[in-house]
Amino acid sequence: MKVRFWGVRGSVPVADAGSLRYGGNTSCVSVALADGGHLVFDAGTGIRSLGATIPPTSGPIHILLTHLHLDHISGLLFFAPLFDPKADITIWGPPGPGDLRSRLARYLSSPLSPVEIRELPAKVTFRECAPEGWQVGGARITATQVIHRGPTLGYRIEEDGAALAYIPDHEPGLGQDLENDPSEWISGHALAHKASLLIHDGQYTEAEYAMTVGWGHSRIADALSFARRTEAERVALFHHDPGHDDAALDALAEEARSVWRGDGELSMACEGATVEL
Amino acid sequence: MAASAQQPLDLILARNLMSVLETPSFLVDNDGQMVFFNEAAGDMLGKRFEEIGRLSREEWNAIGPVDAEGEPVSNDKMPLAVALRDGKPAHGRFHICTDQDKIVEVETSAVPLVSGGDFHGAMVVFWPVAS
Repeated sequence: MKVRFWGVRGSVPVADAGSLRYGGNTSCVSVALADGGHLVFDAGTGIRSLGATIPPTSGPIHILLTHLHLDHISGLLFFAPLFDPKADITIWGPPGPGDLRSRLARYLSSPLSPVEIRELPAKVTFRECAPEGWQVGGARITATQVIHRGPTLGYRIEEDGAALAYIPDHEPGLGQDLENDPSEWISGHALAHKASLLIHDGQYTEAEYAMTVGWGHSRIADALSFARRTEAERVALFHHDPGHDDAALDALAEEARSVWRGDGELSMACEGATVEL
Repeated sequence: MAASAQQPLDLILARNLMSVLETPSFLVDNDGQMVFFNEAAGDMLGKRFEEIGRLSREEWNAIGPVDAEGEPVSNDKMPLAVALRDGKPAHGRFHICTDQDKIVEVETSAVPLVSGGDFHGAMVVFWPVAS
């Protein structure tokens, strides 16, 4: 499978000159499957650029939402295939109070949106993720609830022996000893175990985390502990804080590599980067 | 996936909460197995979770409920049984037997853990009745 980062920023998009290298769009990652299928993880503002690259008749598109915070859905309205009557789109999301379509309609409706969800020209199906997992083409998808504020999923995709774990908003260290607790009690561990690539929340520095404990995001140290415990082959820290410009992210990357005790390759997710698994 | 399946998120969060509480508390899964008890509960029971690990229903039935003389009593109406059987919060008073063979009267509140429409277990807090 081929993974591409379209948005790696957390919380809110940034358009500062100092953030162009890592990118300012919010969460969106695409996966091109071996059979030509399209998986899209989250619909942050990064999904707008992705939409321009998908031909209308290129087959079913599956958008897998981890949760419904704005930085993960605000790009939906700008995803071109949703406005193409030939497009066949399935939007997957976490279970919660009310059906997924109704929950998304709170954003895709007046006064927040000029277009109502019922007016989208594409054929759109809304599905809540089943805990037992499901198949898309040759890929096996598993979704599990993970620690974040509100119902939130992490995903694991397996195809042809490769596994991608996508857990962009996650605070597994909340009340947990990530170094020593049994793995079954660590949120998200099974999803990420021995993944070929783990894309994981690494939003905060130590100092920032001291002020944001319980907000549902990880300090980099916890992301590294989680990654080491899961034995992921590659790790991409993701959901960069909007206050961290390119220079700050470079410094954090260097610091993270200096304390990284895992065997896998560690990187900071960067908009536009691709990874072949 | 080769790794152990993740416990339901509400159990993980309940365990995390209990681990920082000074109120004795324990966690039971939907099979009735005691999957965690905190340090305060361990102090009362004379056992540490890290030493003995999870307890089956039969094993923790040996702790209680018992009567004032330490004889087992029916637990049908005990708070945990109500929470597990009926899915309702419940409160009650009974005795437990510590590993020093001390009989301690406790008050207990049990709260069922249900999320996504599925029943995952119950969390129980208890404290000794002041003599």
